Amino acid sequence: MKRILTVDDSASVRQMVSFTLQKAGYEVAEAVDGRDGLGKAAGGKFDLIITDLNMPNVDGIQLISSVRKLPGYSFVPILMLSTESQAEKKDEGRKAGATGWIVKPFNAEQLVAVVQKLVK
Amino acid sequence: MSCLTNPTPPTVLDKSGSDLQWLLRTTESAMEGLVSAFQGLTGDTDTLVNHAAAIVKCVEDESVSSVLPSVQTLGIAAKKYVGERLEATNGILDTVTAEMELLRKLSAVTNGQTKIAERIQMLNVHTKIEIAHLGFVGAGFEYLARELGEFSTSLAENTGELDRNTEERKNAIVGTRQQFSVELPHLTEELARIEANLSDDLAVLDSGLSRLAQTPLQFRASAENIARQIAGVVVAVQGHDITRQQIEHVHEALATVSEIVLGVSNLKSPAHAEAARAHVGLAIQIEQLRAIRSTIADWTSQIRMCMEGILRISASELIGIGPLVLEQERLMSAQLSHIDLLEGQCKGYSERIRSSLEGISNLSHLVTEHLQKAESARNQLRLLTFNSVIEASRLGAKADTICVIADGIAEVAVEWSKIMEQSGSALREIVDLSKHVNAVMDTFSQTGTEKLRDAQERTRVGLESLRGAAAFAVAQGEKIYQATEIMRTKSGAIASAGDQLDTCFGRIDTVLADLEAVKRQLEIDHPGVKAQYDSAEVERLFSASYTTQTERDVLRAAIYGTTLSTAQSNSAGNDVELF
Repeated sequence: MKRILTVDDSASVRQMVSFTLQKAGYEVAEAVDGRDGLGKAAGGKFDLIITDLNMPNVDGIQLISSVRKLPGYSFVPILMLSTESQAEKKDEGRKAGATGWIVKPFNAEQLVAVVQKLVK
Repeated sequence: MSCLTNPTPPTVLDKSGSDLQWLLRTTESAMEGLVSAFQGLTGDTDTLVNHAAAIVKCVEDESVSSVLPSVQTLGIAAKKYVGERLEATNGILDTVTAEMELLRKLSAVTNGQTKIAERIQMLNVHTKIEIAHLGFVGAGFEYLARELGEFSTSLAENTGELDRNTEERKNAIVGTRQQFSVELPHLTEELARIEANLSDDLAVLDSGLSRLAQTPLQFRASAENIARQIAGVVVAVQGHDITRQQIEHVHEALATVSEIVLGVSNLKSPAHAEAARAHVGLAIQIEQLRAIRSTIADWTSQIRMCMEGILRISASELIGIGPLVLEQERLMSAQLSHIDLLEGQCKGYSERIRSSLEGISNLSHLVTEHLQKAESARNQLRLLTFNSVIEASRLGAKADTICVIADGIAEVAVEWSKIMEQSGSALREIVDLSKHVNAVMDTFSQTGTEKLRDAQERTRVGLESLRGAAAFAVAQGEKIYQATEIMRTKSGAIASAGDQLDTCFGRIDTVLADLEAVKRQLEIDHPGVKAQYDSAEVERLFSASYTTQTERDVLRAAIYGTTLSTAQSNSAGNDVELF
């Protein structure tokens, strides 16, 4: 079973992402912020990471940069799931190593479709 | 500045900021509960959809749609079967009555023949007396006398045999008629009743099958609609995360405005430029809070609609359909049993009618044989008449008595011809009657029921499938009922959480009212404050943390007076871009 890590400081969003992806057959782990996310990524192997942008401690951009430096995470897809949609922010995310950008709120079916496309 | 008196604007702004923070803390846990409940509801709705889909699949797999055509074919075959037998049954009594009449006629024929046989016997006696009287000359009549005697004996035997058969048949037919008189009205009634019941049951089954085919589909559509609404709520609930961020940003902006206002009060001067920045800052936050309030109202309304949908969804129709169809299936099976019984009864009648036919056939054979013998007897009588006339003329005057005998024989021959005509007429009637009985027999025959048998067999198979589908629907209906009850319970909890959230978010109205009051006070204290600020500076000051498109739109609308799009949809977003 493919493993996915969702990182978001909003518990309700984490729940929504987990529930949606678990229903689609994925194993999902949750992290409450960037720091927690980085720790969990380092401690285990995930096939995809979905992260929020604005979070306390370590934000999404910093998290992506750090995760990319971890062994085995160079090519793991990382999706940014954020309320922000500014081109500059997206560019910042892309440069940090994000694979894609989804603007909140997400549609469950489309989230699953994107995840399925990235995790084969 | 009057706004610096009790309470001061910074105090009001700080209080508003605190209110917003309280709002964030309080709603976060409520939202988590709401999300969990909706996740549960999603699972429950999936259960409903799956159960309804299972019924639909079962109905399709069991070919329930073919049951009705089978039963309709049975209805048509049974109606034809019943109708033909009703018609044939009406003819049976007429046939029996006609046969009785015919037998009476045959009795009259045998009576006439008996009398003729007696007359010939008399003529034989007279001939013998005359032979004795004539002596040697009368020797030529001995042959005539012998012939008359043998003929008389043969005729008596034939007549006796016909008479016995006729009597036997008469007795048999009286019994049959009595039996038919009692049973046929009952059979007719039974046939008519089955015909009427079949029509009624067919109509009921038609309606039941339509419901079995349609109701699960409708229910599935309703459940899928609820699932879509829940998916909408799932999207809407994410709006909370967005509004949470927006409220945080407003909170931060209010702190900035508070600092500006505090600066204005500390300067103790008109400080129009500062006041203008504070004023526009407040205007922006007021608009942001209004946009937040509108978004919240939108998704709470979606949650309410979804809850109403859940409360409206009713499994009662679906739960009722299984037992209803099972009951209808029982009715149809009972009808099949009735048809079986009816077939048995008809077979019994068929046997009796067959024996009746055999009787008529035997009678026909007997009368035919009798007619052949009668034909031979007529020829013999003609020969006897001829011989007696020749012998009488040869004897001349001595043969007066013989002449009388010859005349008697001639008369008997004429009467015999009449009897033969009657026998011939009776035979024709018997043949006609045989044909009629044959037609009745054909109706009641085994070959006539083949179509009915085939339709019965198909219906039996169809009803078995129907029973399976209906039983499955009963079991699934029970599960669906339980799932809907669970959903109702959960929806009650959600409604309560929704009310709690409404109360929490109602605090925004208080904050808005406070901010409006501060803004108005600034306008009073600093007339013309609205136009005295640097738009670019204000945008830079407040937009730094604004992350959503809505926030930025509201900010620009407040600063530059641009039109704000009113079509703010909660399901917006989901803009996917893969790098």
